[in-house]
Amino acid sequence: MPIFHPVDEKDITRAIVGSFLRQFEEYADSDVVIVGGGPSGLMAGKGLAAHGLKVLIVERNNYIGGGFWIGGYLMNKVTFRAPAQKVLEELGVPYEEAVEGLYVADGPHACSKLIGAACDAGVKFANMTVFDDLVLRENNRVAGVVINWTPISALPREITCVDPVALECKLVIDATGHDATVVKKLEARGLIHTVGMGAMWVERSEDAIVEHTGEVHPGLVVTGMAVSTVYGLPRMGPTFGAMLLSGRRAAEVAQRLLQGVPVS
Amino acid sequence: MNKRLHVHLYPEHCARTLDLVELSAYVAEVIPCIETEVRGDLGTSYLSALTESARKAALGKLAEAFAKAKVRNPTQHDDEFGPLWGEIDYESRRLADSNSKAFGVLYDGFKMAYILRDLIPREERNLAHLHIVFTNQLFGTWEEGDRRYHARASFYSFPTLLSTSGIVEAPAKPREYYFLKQQYTALGMQDAMVVELERRFRGRFIDYDDERLTEVMKGYVMQAIAYHFWGDPFCEDENCRLYNAHWQEEVIQSQLESPYEFCPYHRRKLAELTEEASDEG
Repeated sequence: MPIFHPVDEKDITRAIVGSFLRQFEEYADSDVVIVGGGPSGLMAGKGLAAHGLKVLIVERNNYIGGGFWIGGYLMNKVTFRAPAQKVLEELGVPYEEAVEGLYVADGPHACSKLIGAACDAGVKFANMTVFDDLVLRENNRVAGVVINWTPISALPREITCVDPVALECKLVIDATGHDATVVKKLEARGLIHTVGMGAMWVERSEDAIVEHTGEVHPGLVVTGMAVSTVYGLPRMGPTFGAMLLSGRRAAEVAQRLLQGVPVS
Repeated sequence: MNKRLHVHLYPEHCARTLDLVELSAYVAEVIPCIETEVRGDLGTSYLSALTESARKAALGKLAEAFAKAKVRNPTQHDDEFGPLWGEIDYESRRLADSNSKAFGVLYDGFKMAYILRDLIPREERNLAHLHIVFTNQLFGTWEEGDRRYHARASFYSFPTLLSTSGIVEAPAKPREYYFLKQQYTALGMQDAMVVELERRFRGRFIDYDDERLTEVMKGYVMQAIAYHFWGDPFCEDENCRLYNAHWQEEVIQSQLESPYEFCPYHRRKLAELTEEASDEG
């Protein structure tokens, strides 16, 4: 006795293509495109989508979550300093207090819960999709992103010849980590000058990154470790508290910018 | 020099354990001829005296000046750069909120002093006044010897700057602190490192919101006064409050655990100040 309902291959193909295309067409024009699906990008997306905004996260890897799956030394325990454990509570992630002010959680649990929360809030994803360039409008205001399939970027241009496509949006968030890939595109055009990562000063780097999270160029907000690269702030190791709180702050800043409220 | 000195203390609102009233009383007790006053935040006072439109313009200028005063590269002296929009915005937010903390940024002490000097009322920019500004901004000064910036707890100038971040970060912590930090960093356990270092070395260095902050700052205020009168803020006696501490252990010794407050030489010098002031009548 068969368990599953009979379907043809063509039905499966049509289901995938149809669903994908509907979403792709709808998100050719979003409120916010976030480049990078790590913890800061996910937090920013979750916060914005929860307020009814149309958010697309572009992620170059097949998997979402960036480095949030594992902690130091490839061990899958992630640590947070107070008050970042409150985010874990909101996400429903169990955690333990290691010592006063330091909390530890399972990386896979924390990461999957955050991805789930972003999905629940309404964030859509374009994974295996690489950020290629920016769409610029009057006065070089950022107004979208140019993307391509990730595997295309790994092939020699001579044999691929696959042009990218553009997505429009009101605001772009650079959540690409140390690379600050989106900001670097502006830098290549001479529109901005990044400072590069500063020296190691872990005790204060988390505060500095959250505090500096914000609009770096008209239409472009920077969050997470990309903030460190842009402003030359002290770098740090795998500390996720700042990523979560920076992402939350990016959502707040983006929301205010979209409402036309000055952030300062 | 006029011994009727007016010392103005400007607060740092984030430092919960910094009591300027107590500091003011301490100065008055040590040198009764000095008039001390605790004022409001220097930047806020300056800006609030301006009209709405002038305030907006002044805030923008100040924000840009502070953004330019950042030390982007600690191994490069007097680096001239055009600050990023976001850096100016950050400074603007910081200046607009006197309760903000400036963590993770190093500023050039000279540039900071120049900026703050211009905020002091014009009639008080003379040697009858000593302005001491407490700040949570971390600043440094360039050392030609090893060609890099060094973080400082104090910068004696006009105005004098005393940093509540600098007193934590500038004097070196115990050597084993750095060995342990290196080990945790190598393991990639940054969060655990911060917490463990705080736990293991608690009390052995002046920390943020340290209950001993006001007591420690008494010595730094006295160094500012010493600099004002004698051109040298420091003493070589490690038990004197005027000792130029480079290690946290030295800060604790000179400001908290010394058997006396001032060495015989500086005790005499301080007494002379009061005597001369009473002679001047």
